Amino acid sequence: MAKDQMTLPTFRKQVSLSPSLSALDGKDLVVPGDVITSDTGFMRGHGTYMDEEKLTASVAGEVERVNKLVCVRPLRTRFNGEVGDVVVGRITEVQQKRWKVETNSRLDSVLLLSSVNLPGGELRRRSAEDELTMRDYLQEGDLISAEVQSVFSDGALSLHTRSLKYGKLGQGVLVQLSPSLIKRQKTHFHNLPCGASIILGNNGFVWLYPAPGQQDEEAGGYYTSLEPVSLSDREVISRLRNCLLALGAHKVLLYDTSVLYCYESSLPHQIKDILKPEVMEEIVMVTRQKLVEQEG
Amino acid sequence: MRDTPLSNCERDFLLKAIQEKKRLDGRQTYDYRSIKISFGTDYGCCFVDLGKTRIMAQVSCELITPKENRPNEGLIFFNIELSPMASPAFEMGRQSELLVKLNRQLERCLRNSKCIDTESLCVVSGEKVWQIRVDVHLLNHDGNLMDAASIAAIAALCHFRRPDVGIQGEEVTVYSTEERDPIPLSIYHMPICVSFSFFQQGTYLLVDPCEREERVMDGLLMIAMNKHREICSIQSSGGIMLLKDQVLRCSKIASVKVSEITELINKALENDKKARKTGGKFGFAESLPQERITALKTDVSPVEMSDVKEKANEIVQRAEVPPQTVPSPVLTAPGTGQVGEGLENSWGLKEEEEEEEEEEDETVELKMELEEGHEEKGRGDVVVISDSDSEEEDVVILNQVTTKEKASISNQQGAVASKQQQQQQKKKKKKRGQ
Repeated sequence: MAKDQMTLPTFRKQVSLSPSLSALDGKDLVVPGDVITSDTGFMRGHGTYMDEEKLTASVAGEVERVNKLVCVRPLRTRFNGEVGDVVVGRITEVQQKRWKVETNSRLDSVLLLSSVNLPGGELRRRSAEDELTMRDYLQEGDLISAEVQSVFSDGALSLHTRSLKYGKLGQGVLVQLSPSLIKRQKTHFHNLPCGASIILGNNGFVWLYPAPGQQDEEAGGYYTSLEPVSLSDREVISRLRNCLLALGAHKVLLYDTSVLYCYESSLPHQIKDILKPEVMEEIVMVTRQKLVEQEG
Repeated sequence: MRDTPLSNCERDFLLKAIQEKKRLDGRQTYDYRSIKISFGTDYGCCFVDLGKTRIMAQVSCELITPKENRPNEGLIFFNIELSPMASPAFEMGRQSELLVKLNRQLERCLRNSKCIDTESLCVVSGEKVWQIRVDVHLLNHDGNLMDAASIAAIAALCHFRRPDVGIQGEEVTVYSTEERDPIPLSIYHMPICVSFSFFQQGTYLLVDPCEREERVMDGLLMIAMNKHREICSIQSSGGIMLLKDQVLRCSKIASVKVSEITELINKALENDKKARKTGGKFGFAESLPQERITALKTDVSPVEMSDVKEKANEIVQRAEVPPQTVPSPVLTAPGTGQVGEGLENSWGLKEEEEEEEEEEDETVELKMELEEGHEEKGRGDVVVISDSDSEEEDVVILNQVTTKEKASISNQQGAVASKQQQQQQKKKKKKRGQ
């Protein structure tokens, strides 16, 4: 063990590496073990611990300070939901009057029977029959898109699908990424001009599906069309999926514009080549350039 | 925390792929993932990588009083720990079923097979014996924990050295590492576990399941064997019904795999021993030179090379003649900066020296040509390169050096040739410029 070297934690000064990173000048990035401050006047929040009178970070992220409270917000973490977030989740359990939904958070989210749209109209009292036929609507393994209605005291999310745009998801592809890569926007449902539609869930689950076309909105959103998807649509969706993986690997913020630019810059390559590291780098570089240009 | 549940689509996909004899990572039915064994600076510390599954084993020893019914035998104690860093489903301190199963299997495999001579661990009969303790820590869970754990445990035991003990009458002295070299344990054989996973009620079989495959399997058969084809333990879990010939077939496959793995362990031990003897670097820090924090690093994958020649020929035949292009589209007008482009300098200085050099080179070159006329063909490359559309004008022909016997002369030749090239191009430039 004498030959092994140990590096002791040191307080790292923020170095502005290039003009493009000057926006981060105000933020302090720390890694686990970094000393945040030796001043004992601060209260410690999430992501920190006291190590011999020094406040040290326990997660990798940026330091947030509110008056006397110091906490570290981690860069890569489970999804911490807030009211109004759009999530894509998978049903894991069917319980008495609710479903348990897995949304990449610390606890399974809850979808109450009273929070879903039943066929036959919205304002209907949930009877005992409804309880028994819950499984007809949503089973274990189904994917849904929903919105966060409230947060329980223990941190579990309560979801609702009380709008026609939410509900069970039909044919498509799910891509699981980190929640911190999804940009918060006004709407998370986009119809991309390349011929596919995308749902960017705040919890990092992104759902790609073929564009609805001339479909009228079905009641309750529980009708899943099982018509075969055309080959061209499937190719578009596969390409989008690989682009999302490339963007995720390079930690690019995901929103409709960035996904679209990435799709366009990947067109010269074959779909399966997009997953190669060198091609990924090239595509993401072009995407970044386009995004910077667009910003002005 | 609960593990992410496997979706129905993934489950169906995996089962269907297995029916078609395909695996997620492209392996064959009986293929193992790549195994990497590395040892630490301390004796008895071993890391094993089975694909992405990562396990560390540490062996330590201590003098204690033996059991009363076995006064002249040492003790071996095994302990497996599932660290939370291996998987979000593992929690510190919780005794899960998997943990108990792994512990029992490791004990059966290594202790009941009597692979270690416990009598040699006795110091004073009835009073002092060595207790060997094997701690196995799971660092990353990607399937097939039992195999990796058994490899790590036995490799660590083979690597371990216990302190030497001297007895003089009633006195027992334990010598430290500096006083006397520590001695290795006496190990008779190396039992290694091989896992077989069964799908569709025993119809399909896979060796070394990865984590996804383990989630959809019906049952697991673990056979512990040594390279002398002796079975040390067999365990079948999951409640599947296996036929006699299936089990026999599995044991045959296991014997092949075990001999391969035993060889690998021996080789790793040899390398480590050599490194320590010659004073070279050993330990974990030295065995990780290639691993950098690169997010996009992919493993070396085998490439199908059997039909490359035909394909290459086809491509060459079908390809068109490349268009005649200028080496560089930049036309340098006189007076513009030509620094670093290998062109004639426009500073107006040292013109006389250059002219002299040109003359010298040409005469030298003529002599070289006469001497080695037969190598003209090899130098035909030079002429081709000067017409190529590469933008670099200083084409240093290094690879020609290696193919020639008279390396020093050809080096000069190469330098001369490249200089000749430059002058050719300079002349061309002058012509074009004017």
